Amino acid sequence: MTTIAQAEPLLARRRVASRRRFADLAATGVLWMAACSIVLLLVFFIAYLFYLGAGVVSWHFLTAPPSEITAGGGIGPQIFNSFYILFLTMLFTVPIAMGSGIYLQEYARPGVFTTAVQFCAESLATIPSIVMGLFGLIVFVTLLHWHFTALGGALTLTLLNLPALMRVTQEGLSSVPLIMREGSMALGATKWQTIRRVVLPSAIAPLTTGIVLVAGRIFGETAALIYTAGVSVSAGRSAYDWSPFHTAETLSVHLWYTHSEGLVPDAARIGNGSALVLLVMVLIFNILARVLGRLLSRRLTGK
Amino acid sequence: MISTTTNAAEPRLSSKMRVEDLDVYYGDFQAIKSASIEIPENCVTALIGPSGCGKSTFIRALNRMHDLSPNVRVEGTVSLDGEDIYARDVDPVSIRHRIGMVFQRANPFPKSIYENVVYGPKIHGLGKRAQLNEVCERSLRRAALWDEVKDRLHRSALDLSGGQQQRLCIARVLAVEPEVILMDEPASALDPIATSKIEDLISELKDEFTVVIVTHSMQQAARISEFTAFFLMGDLIEVGKTSDVFTKPKDTRTEDYITGRYG
Amino acid sequence: MIATPSSRAHFQENIARTVLFAASVLVVAAMAVIVIYLASEGLRLFLVDHISPLTFLGSPTFDPESRAPGALVFIVGTLSVTLFAIAVGGPFGVAVGIFLSQLAPKRLAALMKPSIEILVGIPSVVYGWLGLTLLAPFTRQHFGSQTGFGLLTAGIVLSIMILPTVISLSEDALHSVHVSLKEGSMALGATRWQTIFHVLLPAARSGLLVAIILGIARAIGEALAVQMVIGNSAVLPKGLLSPTSTLTTEIVTDMGSAQAGSVMQHSLFSMAFLLLLIAMLLIVAVRAALRRAA
Repeated sequence: MTTIAQAEPLLARRRVASRRRFADLAATGVLWMAACSIVLLLVFFIAYLFYLGAGVVSWHFLTAPPSEITAGGGIGPQIFNSFYILFLTMLFTVPIAMGSGIYLQEYARPGVFTTAVQFCAESLATIPSIVMGLFGLIVFVTLLHWHFTALGGALTLTLLNLPALMRVTQEGLSSVPLIMREGSMALGATKWQTIRRVVLPSAIAPLTTGIVLVAGRIFGETAALIYTAGVSVSAGRSAYDWSPFHTAETLSVHLWYTHSEGLVPDAARIGNGSALVLLVMVLIFNILARVLGRLLSRRLTGK
Repeated sequence: MISTTTNAAEPRLSSKMRVEDLDVYYGDFQAIKSASIEIPENCVTALIGPSGCGKSTFIRALNRMHDLSPNVRVEGTVSLDGEDIYARDVDPVSIRHRIGMVFQRANPFPKSIYENVVYGPKIHGLGKRAQLNEVCERSLRRAALWDEVKDRLHRSALDLSGGQQQRLCIARVLAVEPEVILMDEPASALDPIATSKIEDLISELKDEFTVVIVTHSMQQAARISEFTAFFLMGDLIEVGKTSDVFTKPKDTRTEDYITGRYG
Repeated sequence: MIATPSSRAHFQENIARTVLFAASVLVVAAMAVIVIYLASEGLRLFLVDHISPLTFLGSPTFDPESRAPGALVFIVGTLSVTLFAIAVGGPFGVAVGIFLSQLAPKRLAALMKPSIEILVGIPSVVYGWLGLTLLAPFTRQHFGSQTGFGLLTAGIVLSIMILPTVISLSEDALHSVHVSLKEGSMALGATRWQTIFHVLLPAARSGLLVAIILGIARAIGEALAVQMVIGNSAVLPKGLLSPTSTLTTEIVTDMGSAQAGSVMQHSLFSMAFLLLLIAMLLIVAVRAALRRAA
């Protein structure tokens, strides 16, 4: 039982405590507002883009070729080129990035070379995409005389995305516990056998999620492609060219180009439609990445 | 230092492995100081001692697991059938084919039970389905797990209970047909029933294999081993027949540990 | 020999090791080639056209036709827009990072992480488009800007674009603070905010610094979204509402029409080379910040 004498200091302490608690509540409120505004921002952007572009997107819009001067053009070839360049880029990026990622994570010992690889990867990641695009211009377009090609764009994008995919690989590999590696090596497996048969299969879920997310970013890449893959598509049937040496304007580049050159009278309309299609593609990539990740990890630990 | 007691009337045991002046360093810290011991063939040798005394470090030196850690240095000789496994021209990967290891926590791969057991043979080149099936059944039987899993060989190994997973890991090692099996506290994460199953298994295994087991339980050492080695702070204090070490220890430190004065 | 290695497994091991090593060498080689080519083109302005670097870096007149390619306008533009972005997006991002790592209930965090991933994934052109159709008219109406294009609009777009970077890196930095520090503080009777402010944030100092540095890097490197809303006039900005240009937007705008071998083209390459050097410098800064932590 507390006497008055003992209760006095308790009351005083409670007054100070309420001041601290107010600061705590205020800060908590601010943080909550900041967080909610992020979600609201995203929802608002998505809703607005749908509002702008929903009326534009139609089957005709998605498949027809663009028109040079008149209204009513579509984005068919651009969508084709976006996927084509994505596929080509992944073809180069995945082996190199996974190879060096596996090397750095599993084989490399601290030293000059390892530091050099990490520094180069980090620097590649920080180079602005337009600067990388200029490098592509110097080497692929001018030096090698390819002019604007899908291959040149893909190689430039490979350089841009190597670091991201390397990080995905390293994080995926590190998600596999050491004890699993030890178990394999204690059975007489070599390092590569352990990686190939135990570590990589165990990391398949985070690896897949990461790769699909990077693919989504490649799909939306623009600055590096303007001066490497070009801002036009060939007219007529040759617009769906399978050769890697054709000029390949992607959807994102098209969005920028119609805005900046604006020769067609319905440039705004085409822009709205293109922006919406790009957004929807990003959403699809993100959802796919998560769904695949969850499916694969369930298969790994359940079946 | 070795203090081994042998009774002249008993059959002479051949030495499967011999450790001479083993030192293990983690950076500058010396975890094992000049340990020498003989591991007799087809027996169970237990390594006991308080936590931190170095018994896990010691056993990992026996199949060159320390090769995987960059800042660990191993000096001395560890011989298998008379030949040093740390010699320059010896391949550590093949050593682990002949000296297998079971870990403290069961670490089955996230694959099916079947795939776990045949993993070892597969990486050593065995390919034929029929042969793999035979190895799988034989190893699971030897590990006393066959009856419990024979109907779900292709289900995930992670669905098994802790004790079953550990027996699966033992089956996995058996499938490789080693000569020596090292066990680092194999039952410390298991309940008493699962533990006694593992102990029964170990008693059967010694007919075909040489077993070295690290254990923090003196009772377990007394139950299943023929020889016991006592470690304290990196030093190998005493080695001998289990019955002798527990009833007439030669060193006072051994006696203090056995009677529970520390540890 | 007491153990014969399985020759096939060993052969594969050696091949694998060589191939993986080669992939890593490729990464270093790529970077080297990039630096070499950008340097060789970027230095042409000084070595072939004999423009002094001081003129390039210090003169506010950008008139390559008359051999006066002063890039100061663009440097100031880059700095201004970056400063705005990090001043707004930096604290905002760190706040959300604090929220995610300390306050968020599991379900909200599960909703926010994918949202942030989507924000990262939105292409910069789409951000530019949003700035164009949404923000520019807003600026025109409510801030009295003539066109709606300028520093303010570009700064706001850029702030939003660097948010995901700053958020996820801040969250990582706070997560890696050992839980024992937090528990120790709470056990002494500190409120959650006191713990965050006085214990966690200082402990995560270097990680937060990295978040800011990489946010800055992202802002400096962004080209297209900014180019669509900044007005693209090569004059020094007089205020938040003036249209101006940055190093990246200038490259985007004029590269297409620059004649090969002209002073214009060379000055654009010099700007690209300057951006490359800035990027590498920022990485050195990040490494220094991380080394101070260890």
